[in-house]
Amino acid sequence: MDNTAHKLLIANRGEIALRIINACGKLNLSFTAVYTAEDAASGHVQLARAKGGEKSLFRISSYHDANELMAVADEAGCTAIHPGYGFFAEDFRFARRVAKRDRKLLFIAPSWKIIRELGDKINTKRLARSLNVPTVPGSDRPIYDEMEADRIAKTIFEFQEQQDITHPLVLVKASAGGGGMGIEEVYDPDQFRSVFRRIRNYAMRQFKDEGVLIEQRITNFNHLEVQIVSDRTGGNPVHFGTRNCTIQSTGLQKRIEVAPGFAPDVLDYTFDAAKVLSDIVDYSLTMARNVGYDNVGTWEWIVTRKGQPFLMEVNTRIQVENGVSARIARIRGKGDIDLIAEQIRLGLGQNLGYTQDDITFEGVGIEYRLIAEDPENSFTPWVGRIEHFQWDNAPWLTLLTHVPQAEPYEIPVEFDPNLALAIVWGKDLEQARQRGLQFLHSLQLTGQNASGEKLKSNAAFLATNTESILRF
Amino acid sequence: MINISQLLDEIKSSPYNEIVISTPHTGKITFADIKEGDCVLGPQGIWKHQPGTQLATLERERNFKPIFAPDKGEISLVHKKLEGLFAEAGTELVVLRHMLTRDEVQRMILQKALHLFRAPERAKYYFTPEADKKIRASETRTMTVRNGMELFIMSRMKREVPLHYSGPEGVIYEIYFKYNANLEIGAPLIGVCSPAHLPVIQDMIARVQTEWFEKTE
Amino acid sequence: MDNNIEKRLQSLRDRLAYLLDIFPGKHRSSAALLEEKLADFTAYAGSDALEDSYADLANLEDLFAYVERHLENEISPMDKVRIVRHPQRICLRDILENVYDNFTEVGGQDEHSLDPSMLIARAIVTRRRGKKAYTQSVMVIGQEKGHGAEFRNGGSVKPWGNAKALQYMSVAETEGIPVHCYIFTPGSYPVEDYPGAGQQIARNIYYMAGLRVPVVAIISEGGSGGAEAIGLADKRLMLSHGYYSVISPEGAAAIEGDLKTGARATSELIEHCANNLKITAQDNLKFGYIDRIIQEPPLGARPWHYDFYRSLRQEVLRATDEVVISTRNIPIFRGIALSRHRSPDADLDNLHIRWGIPATAKTRLVLRRQQKFLRFSRQAARDRRPFLTKQVVAFYDWISKPWISFKYDFYRKHQRQLKTIIEEIHNEWEMLKYRLLSPWRKLTKKLSGRTDSKAKELTALSTWAGDARRRKWNYISPRYKIDRTITCPNSDSYGCLDLWGPDLFAEFAGVCSHCGYHFPMEPEWYVKNVFDAGSTFEFNSEIEAGNPLDFPGFSERIDKDQAKTGAKSGCMTFEARIDNIKMVVVMLMGTFRGGSVGAAEGYKFVEAAARAQKQRMPLLSYVHGTAGIRIQEGTHGVIQMPRCTVAVRRYIESGGLYMVLYDTNSFAGPVASFLGCSPYQFAVRSSNIGFAGPGVIKETTGTDIPPKYHRSYRALSRGHIQAIWDRRQIRANLKQALLTIGGRNLYYR
Repeated sequence: MDNTAHKLLIANRGEIALRIINACGKLNLSFTAVYTAEDAASGHVQLARAKGGEKSLFRISSYHDANELMAVADEAGCTAIHPGYGFFAEDFRFARRVAKRDRKLLFIAPSWKIIRELGDKINTKRLARSLNVPTVPGSDRPIYDEMEADRIAKTIFEFQEQQDITHPLVLVKASAGGGGMGIEEVYDPDQFRSVFRRIRNYAMRQFKDEGVLIEQRITNFNHLEVQIVSDRTGGNPVHFGTRNCTIQSTGLQKRIEVAPGFAPDVLDYTFDAAKVLSDIVDYSLTMARNVGYDNVGTWEWIVTRKGQPFLMEVNTRIQVENGVSARIARIRGKGDIDLIAEQIRLGLGQNLGYTQDDITFEGVGIEYRLIAEDPENSFTPWVGRIEHFQWDNAPWLTLLTHVPQAEPYEIPVEFDPNLALAIVWGKDLEQARQRGLQFLHSLQLTGQNASGEKLKSNAAFLATNTESILRF
Repeated sequence: MINISQLLDEIKSSPYNEIVISTPHTGKITFADIKEGDCVLGPQGIWKHQPGTQLATLERERNFKPIFAPDKGEISLVHKKLEGLFAEAGTELVVLRHMLTRDEVQRMILQKALHLFRAPERAKYYFTPEADKKIRASETRTMTVRNGMELFIMSRMKREVPLHYSGPEGVIYEIYFKYNANLEIGAPLIGVCSPAHLPVIQDMIARVQTEWFEKTE
Repeated sequence: MDNNIEKRLQSLRDRLAYLLDIFPGKHRSSAALLEEKLADFTAYAGSDALEDSYADLANLEDLFAYVERHLENEISPMDKVRIVRHPQRICLRDILENVYDNFTEVGGQDEHSLDPSMLIARAIVTRRRGKKAYTQSVMVIGQEKGHGAEFRNGGSVKPWGNAKALQYMSVAETEGIPVHCYIFTPGSYPVEDYPGAGQQIARNIYYMAGLRVPVVAIISEGGSGGAEAIGLADKRLMLSHGYYSVISPEGAAAIEGDLKTGARATSELIEHCANNLKITAQDNLKFGYIDRIIQEPPLGARPWHYDFYRSLRQEVLRATDEVVISTRNIPIFRGIALSRHRSPDADLDNLHIRWGIPATAKTRLVLRRQQKFLRFSRQAARDRRPFLTKQVVAFYDWISKPWISFKYDFYRKHQRQLKTIIEEIHNEWEMLKYRLLSPWRKLTKKLSGRTDSKAKELTALSTWAGDARRRKWNYISPRYKIDRTITCPNSDSYGCLDLWGPDLFAEFAGVCSHCGYHFPMEPEWYVKNVFDAGSTFEFNSEIEAGNPLDFPGFSERIDKDQAKTGAKSGCMTFEARIDNIKMVVVMLMGTFRGGSVGAAEGYKFVEAAARAQKQRMPLLSYVHGTAGIRIQEGTHGVIQMPRCTVAVRRYIESGGLYMVLYDTNSFAGPVASFLGCSPYQFAVRSSNIGFAGPGVIKETTGTDIPPKYHRSYRALSRGHIQAIWDRRQIRANLKQALLTIGGRNLYYR
């Protein structure tokens, strides 16, 4: 394959930047990386220096400034931009600008219209419903009228009572909101009106739109994902299986991801887990086909204890945990799959070149997110200097980190304190769990902060939770 | 008690400051008509609303942004070789030799006399919205702070936590941090002056006003 | 030398100095002659070498008078400006002492006054009829220049000074005595401190538009807004050496020469502007903006011109009497009385007319005053409406009047009662239906399927008619086509990143996505995005801005702006709807000569107000931007201040809802009159509102003003406006305002 006509701007930092640089290596694609002053010592800067060609590294003022990225892309002669995750991933305006500016670039992501359509909670929900894809019971359009809201809330309470849910809950959220802002739970129907008014006023102040969504609040569920991959034709999306991301921090940040999503052959479930997995895959593909989805993406689901799946949202980007799905997948029997490389290859316009039938899965993958934080103190980030970072290598282990091992490393305070991703593979759940623990026990991670306190990490939390993997 | 005379003497022995002007972001550089040895002005006017001497123009995405001298001084270095080139963010353009003004000396000495509330962590700091509103709206030195008052938002690792002021009650006399800039641990955030201390401070200001003469170039 | 001669000599020295001052660099030989003769006389008189010093002195005085008479014919408009500004010119106190028979100063004394530049006095005039003496009271209000006394501030009245004037006008109204306004001002002191220069002038004009006592104004120095603050009168007299102008010639020159703040225009340019602005009494009489000229002595009235006071007294009394007489109902008596008063030989001191008038006459008085101002300046706009159109409009007006009065005055009133009856009938029917159907309902209730319906309601796709989130703007700025970034002016203080033009000018509607700063948008943006699509209907577009003063080079500039904007004037008037609420909109467009207001703009405003009044629709002034009165139209422009305010007052008093929305920059005359007088004024974010810009304030007051002095949020704090609106919310906010302020019928009476 010939990628010499292209050059990729990596509009991200840290671990994902590293993975994109490596993927470029696999694709024989030249690239340009960017960094900010705080990140000068980061691993991705070192790797870019080592592997990059001419005009392959630029210092910019901020990863959040689209203008910096465009200016660097033009200066370095880039033809495409990879947003990674966070920053400009899922930003339809950025994608639109890339596609519509005078000097056009390719955006390694779905087209901006798809990003916009699926980036909107209400739109996604309505699209799903129009295709008979199950969604969380409740309103699928913003409610402005108090009487109507009251009626819907009442119906949701009654609906839950009919299903013998002992503590029915209703969720009230600003339809224009996101990221956990402007959301409130209601357990008492009499309190609904005051909560509704509060959220509506908040939404008006914050988002200039007083529309409110009213939904059933589902508790006790597993968080599953379906990995979708499609080429630019948008006509033949395939899936790379399911993941279970139920183990999270108190702030609902993922900490352990496992592929596949359930293990019906070795564990007991109160529902037909195999059917749930195949259902959510089918639903996801139906939607992807319907919108003409044309790059990688993730459909997020919640599955209740009764085995009901509900679509939560669609992430129109590569995710941190893509590696764990790739780890168990085989294309025509061949392993060592890199979904980021696939994403770039397809984003640049190549055809998929295989069908769903060519994709098979083998074994179980576990991904640990190693983070400097204090799980016992509501996962507060720890900031300081890492002095020693080491682990035992193994053929079943992939460790991705932007933290240099050769010298001490000061954690920058501007970004998420992710230190490393460890992906462990086993031929079955039991072996994967054992290997996971083996890795965690071999880990050496020390350091201290300005006031001389020792480094805190979530390694123990990860080990404790390894036991409950895939159990529901 | 602070020995003002000694402090003033110390400052007088080296009354200059080096100011490095760098590109705020990437872009193509065009220098203004400046050369080493030129004297430039900082922002002018009662409210400092007129910008200082233009040093260069930075063009990015067809937006031409002037870069002005932040303060009065003599140009000691111009990186003329950058003319017409694309520069990274934070590229050094011009170095100014700046003679300390009376106000700056006053600030330096005040920093020793006021109660300084310092940054507890390396992070970005903001005033809480209520405090910010008050400070933006009113004249400086009217906002009173009390021990335990929620005054700042500390932002790091994408988390924002409230920060409470601790120290004596008094008015915010000086603000030492800038919007959206990272502060090192222990960097002063605000200087607070308690009412009882006010005469002392005013006395010090009077000393600086009478004993520090700005050279007019 | 005896004292008397010394006194008269001093007087001659003053006259010489005055002459030199008002003719700087001109008529040197005449001045030199007088100088020489005066020096000679002084030398001889000092050495007692003269035989008959009194005779020689009289000769010298005659010579002075001769030269003054001679130079009188050579006076240029700019010389007149210098005359009225000269410290030797008569001032209001001179007039109070010499024209009226007695007076008491009220509202302050000398420098101990709220504003010493605004002088107010209760004065009396004693007149005779036969042997009987009658004393008449009058409220005298005017600017006091005080022969250059510093505390008088040159007659430049502060906002609170104008407020004081307004207060005593209302006192006069209560007491039923006439008001005499003496205008001696170069312009108002342009500070925004409460009550605000512009706002207070607007209040004064609005109040005077309905003041129920006779008002006579006498103009000596009529400096634009400051003059209008006390200038809306039944009779407007002007001193022959005065000037009445939209702006000082220096100010006009600074604008014409496009000078930066502080730079001085050349005296040639100033002279040129003074000539072309048509500021003299003779010009204004020709335009019809004043009723009569009071002749001054050669080179202008000075305190020792006692004859002048006498003729001024006659004219002021005549004017007041005429106003009173003209309110009489019986034409024949009115005619006789008027012709008697108008006779030049009439001695007004021996004629007596009661100045108090009955209530019905007061109504006629106000109506006449309003009509007088509404008629002004029509000829100064180019009305290109075809003759037939005008006739049709006039005819339609005539036939539609009875129908409209039936529709609104009768039908609307009774509509509500009718509705109530219909509702009652409907309720009864529903009750009946309920009772009839109850057996059937009991039957169906038992059937199952309700759980399913609940689940279906909560999980199936609902119908959503008004998906407003995807609403695209009906109009986007053409600037969106340019691939470039733009820096937000607030980026220093709020850290805004550069905005991408195509995002900013299309989706973001010109609003910084970080700090909310509003970049100016085109007038079309508002027309198409605020009102229902396709609901706008423009009228009177054929009334065009012209060049009524034939100001040199100005016609070309008007043509250029007409070609550039496609509009014929800086004002667009149209009918439009918001969610089917109809209204009349007047839009001042900042893109056409800075949104300045001239005769055409004023004409269209007056017509629009009349239309709104007739059709019982709310009236909205959307000020996309206005730089003030169009100076190149001179008094044709400045007369729009009282004229349009009269139109507003008539509209509001007939029960209309008048709202104003400011955007970008709104300054000077319009803000100080027909915009500022609205009880409901709003502003779009990031707009600036004020009386005079920073440059003018620096020029007139000598002080620097803070950078954000005119920002809308300051105007909000000062109580000028009621709220600040986000541009993207204008439509919603307008609707809200219409429904809450306008009430059910949107025409609140």
